[in-house]
Amino acid sequence: MFGKNHGHGGLTFDVPPAMDAAEAARIAFDHDLSLSKHHFVEGEHPVVRIEHLMKTFDGETQVLRDVNLNVWNGEIVVVLGPSGSGKSTMLRCINLLETPTAGHILIDDDEITGKSAKEVGLIRRDLGMVFQSFNLFPHLTALENVMIGQTKVLKKNKDEARAEAVKQLEAVGLGDRIDYKPPQLSGGQQQRVAIARAVAMHPKVLLFDEPTSALDPELVRDVLGVMRELALHGDMTMIVVTHEMGFARDVGDRVVFMEGGVVVEQGLPEQVFDNPQHDRTKQFLGSIK
Amino acid sequence: MSNTRRGTKWGLAALVAMLAVAFALAAPHSAYALTTNKATARPNENGGSGVIGGLATRLTWEGTVEEGEKVSSVTLVLPEGGTFDGSSTKITVLEGLSRAKVEGTATPADTQLEVTFSEPIEAGYLLRLEVEGMKFPADGGEVSVGGSYVNQDGEQQLAESKPIKTIANTPLQALVATLDEAPWVQAWNSNPFLGMFFKPQLLATAFATLVPGWLLCLLIVVIAYPFAIVLGLIFALMKISKNPLLRLIAIVYINILRGTPLFLQIYIMFFGLPMMNINIDNNVLGVIVIAINASAYLAEIFRAGIQSIPQGQYEAASSLGMNYFQTMFDIILPQTIRRVIPTVTSDFITSYKDTSLLSSVGVMELMMFAKNLTSVSGNMTPYVAAAIFYLIVTLPLIKAVGYVEQRIANSERGGGPRPKGKAAVKAASAGEATPLPSELGVHFEAARDDAFGTSVSPLAPVAVQEV
Repeated sequence: MFGKNHGHGGLTFDVPPAMDAAEAARIAFDHDLSLSKHHFVEGEHPVVRIEHLMKTFDGETQVLRDVNLNVWNGEIVVVLGPSGSGKSTMLRCINLLETPTAGHILIDDDEITGKSAKEVGLIRRDLGMVFQSFNLFPHLTALENVMIGQTKVLKKNKDEARAEAVKQLEAVGLGDRIDYKPPQLSGGQQQRVAIARAVAMHPKVLLFDEPTSALDPELVRDVLGVMRELALHGDMTMIVVTHEMGFARDVGDRVVFMEGGVVVEQGLPEQVFDNPQHDRTKQFLGSIK
Repeated sequence: MSNTRRGTKWGLAALVAMLAVAFALAAPHSAYALTTNKATARPNENGGSGVIGGLATRLTWEGTVEEGEKVSSVTLVLPEGGTFDGSSTKITVLEGLSRAKVEGTATPADTQLEVTFSEPIEAGYLLRLEVEGMKFPADGGEVSVGGSYVNQDGEQQLAESKPIKTIANTPLQALVATLDEAPWVQAWNSNPFLGMFFKPQLLATAFATLVPGWLLCLLIVVIAYPFAIVLGLIFALMKISKNPLLRLIAIVYINILRGTPLFLQIYIMFFGLPMMNINIDNNVLGVIVIAINASAYLAEIFRAGIQSIPQGQYEAASSLGMNYFQTMFDIILPQTIRRVIPTVTSDFITSYKDTSLLSSVGVMELMMFAKNLTSVSGNMTPYVAAAIFYLIVTLPLIKAVGYVEQRIANSERGGGPRPKGKAAVKAASAGEATPLPSELGVHFEAARDDAFGTSVSPLAPVAVQEV
């Protein structure tokens, strides 16, 4: 009953086809119910469904072995794990910055793997991404950075896009910096612009790839504050790869611990932090305390 | 009935006779004519072939004594507003190639010069009058020499000469004349080096003469360059394309043009096309050759510039849902252009200088004018003037390049880490990238080639340290 044989440089994967949406939702619901603070509604489907996700580089380095994860609408999922555990790669696979080697990723029950470049563009506009290194467009002002996706991709008119951009920049506390260019802003301010840029697209899911790792410690707080605000007072679905344990504990609906390309353990933040089940989780949490 | 010395055909003689009759009826006083052969002036333009008004030259007038005439005196009426030094008029009377023994006396009177001969000049003799110190009117224009003569029948009108073209005496000519006189200039020129390379009079003349060539150089490169930029951009995008055929075309185009001398390309185009019966105006062809040549270099500059844009910029644009063209034209190229401005300007300087090679195929640009002036004057100064014309453009541009480089280096930060070659990019995507301070190198072109060209053995993602 296995599907395509994904041969890749000597490694072979046999991955079953994606499950039927309703059945998958039911199984996921039962599985996640006790693991997340998310307010589950009977019959709801996960917004992101990852099944048997695998990723190898150059046909030999297997970074993701078999990742299975569901993310629910409005849920804040914090992904932890040591270096090389595959957490960033998983995040990048979700918006197809990396092409999965095998497995399935479904957004609102739509398969996103194996799509054409044009379809990928349509998928990505629903998936906001905040990068470790901000990746603001240095030739554009903060305002233009937040506007460009709206005008070019969503085809909004300038005034609408500007109003939205101003609103989002004010929300991240940069209402007085809208005409600054990235080089004139601090790292923390740049990252907040990057968050505003992602949020202004009103994506279904917001992906954070170690958003504070490149920041000086005193700037981390501002960025986390913005993310916290977004998590607690918005209805945004967020997947956050981070090392900020405080943020994970306070804000996360669920904490996912990855290692060796698989999800080792997941659960409510207090479960994972105070009573980790796996040795590797214990070891990891012990090493960073 | 006519006593012909030369064998004239009867028909022609009849025609001449008829014309003579007609002429006689129209102007009975001119039954005979001292024919004006020519009136010319020696060029007095420094390093040129023009006759400048207001400056001394030598006027040469020649006439032939016709049948049945004996000319005893000639009065030349010189152009109004001109002056001459009547004391040194040279009088030559030739019979065939031999000098006739006729004495003459020249008497200047206002704008007239009366020349009387010791004995009347017989028919068939050539009369040459050379007026020294002739200064034509300073305004320039066409002047002709007329006058009258006296033969055995009395005074006759002299036909007006063909006009002599004279150039207005410009401030420049006046300057050259002044310089000619100035003692310091004479002292300066007595030094062999200064006199050969920096002769003041010639420098002044060259500056004026070379201007059209200089403008043509500028025009060629200014017209060629926008085409070169567009072509260069197209080939740059082709070279980084995923399509192997487009890549191959770009590589062949760029490598052939960069790998052969421009001189050769000019020869092939200028001599090859006419052989295929394709005839294009020299200046236009010059623009085409320069544009094509520059496009290959620009393609490499743009390619290196595009590839110097951090991978994160592509990822950020992609994650917003932008497609290839939006990413390229709204995100990558605007940043590339800023980065390559100094390098492109340097290349512009090169192209501007390269227009000099077009002189070899007859395009009348700066070098061509300098070469001509040097061959006329036998002096190197025109080349020095040409050098100054090149520098007038290149020095400010060189200065501007430095300024822009400085500004870019100061202003561009925060675009994310720069691409680190295949291995590092893979590692970055696989694991967690070490953030690089986005220090911006302006000298990326050569270094980048190597970074992207050489294959680096792939690193396992676990080898990348997490911060």
